[in-house]
Amino acid sequence: MNLVLDVALATALTVLAWRSLAGPDLFRGIVMYVVFGMVMAVAWARLGSADLAMAEAAIGAGVTGALVMVAYWRLRRIAPVEPADPSPRRSRLAATVAVLSAGVVAAIGLAAVQAIGPGGIAGRALVEALPATGLGNPITGVLVIFRNLDTVLEVAVLLAAYLAVRALLGDGGESLAQPPTQRGTLVAALVSVVAPMTVLVAVYLWRAGSQWPGGAFQAGAVLAACGVLLFLTGRLRPAVEAGPVVRAALVLGTAAFGVLGVAMLFVGQPLLAIPGSWAVYLIEAAMMVSIGVTLALLFAGAAGVGGGRR
Amino acid sequence: MSALEGVAAAFLLAGAGFYLAGTVGLLRFPDALSRLHALTKADNVGLLLVCVGLALVAGSPREAALLLLVWLMALLAATVSAHLIARRALADARDGASAVEGPP
Repeated sequence: MNLVLDVALATALTVLAWRSLAGPDLFRGIVMYVVFGMVMAVAWARLGSADLAMAEAAIGAGVTGALVMVAYWRLRRIAPVEPADPSPRRSRLAATVAVLSAGVVAAIGLAAVQAIGPGGIAGRALVEALPATGLGNPITGVLVIFRNLDTVLEVAVLLAAYLAVRALLGDGGESLAQPPTQRGTLVAALVSVVAPMTVLVAVYLWRAGSQWPGGAFQAGAVLAACGVLLFLTGRLRPAVEAGPVVRAALVLGTAAFGVLGVAMLFVGQPLLAIPGSWAVYLIEAAMMVSIGVTLALLFAGAAGVGGGRR
Repeated sequence: MSALEGVAAAFLLAGAGFYLAGTVGLLRFPDALSRLHALTKADNVGLLLVCVGLALVAGSPREAALLLLVWLMALLAATVSAHLIARRALADARDGASAVEGPP
């Protein structure tokens, strides 16, 4: 029974990946990509990785899906007409690339099968080192304590993406696209219920992240979803300039991580050492706010927010 | 298998039946409004039956209550999105677009 489920998941993933890339219809490809993200989340849950399942569902399918969809709207606005011959020319390198990719995947799979024991050496070292940190969730341990340089850079990359969008926007209000707003009696009621609940869920994910599945990235993605909802319903409006609060929120994650990490040098600790679990909560809270605000602004294609209609 | 598990299995199967019928309806019905009709039955009744089936065999009352909450949230979201899609379909039909009529 379990084997049937696994084979069905693997087949569905392969078919969805193929359908999201093949074919000239962009919109269909986007829908397939979002469905791929949802099935991928189920696959991670089947593998017992609740953290990755949540991250995939919230970031992979949810926020990325929304970003790709908004990019599609804008493409349609720039070029409303489908090209006459949308089928791309087949590259002569296609066969070579396919064979090389298959070889790399096979090599990685072979190496994984031959890896030492369950969990491997790094995994065992992590499980042994984790109790000393006071954290219960090994993923948060890796992200915030053991490999935190990677995590600082990930948050910095998000900031860089925001700056790139800001630079592309220039200072013209022209490119500041308003997503279509749907006004309805039910929508206002739904937003009033759902927006506070998403904030609650985000705070829960942040709080749970140190011991159980959850963490800053999942919590930030949920906050971003709240922002997307508010932008789509006109409660928030895209603005050409970022106010001081938005600017502070954008750099909060990178700044908290960086300042604390450098400060450790002055008390005789290595760079980016984490002094205790209070610092993990602090850094994760700062990252959650930055990730949420950055992703929501990327969706709106805006530098900042203005108040909307009620 | 205890009697409770049997009842839970019956609920799950009934829920799966609603999902299957809803999916077939979504694929086969001719226009947006009747497709929406099929889809919302799967969303509302199908999910309710699945949640009740799972709640019956849940380990604790807390888990059962959480499953009920899942259903309520999905119900809320599905109601509003169905309403929005229906409004759009009607507006498109008024404007003479062919959104309400599906592909031939």
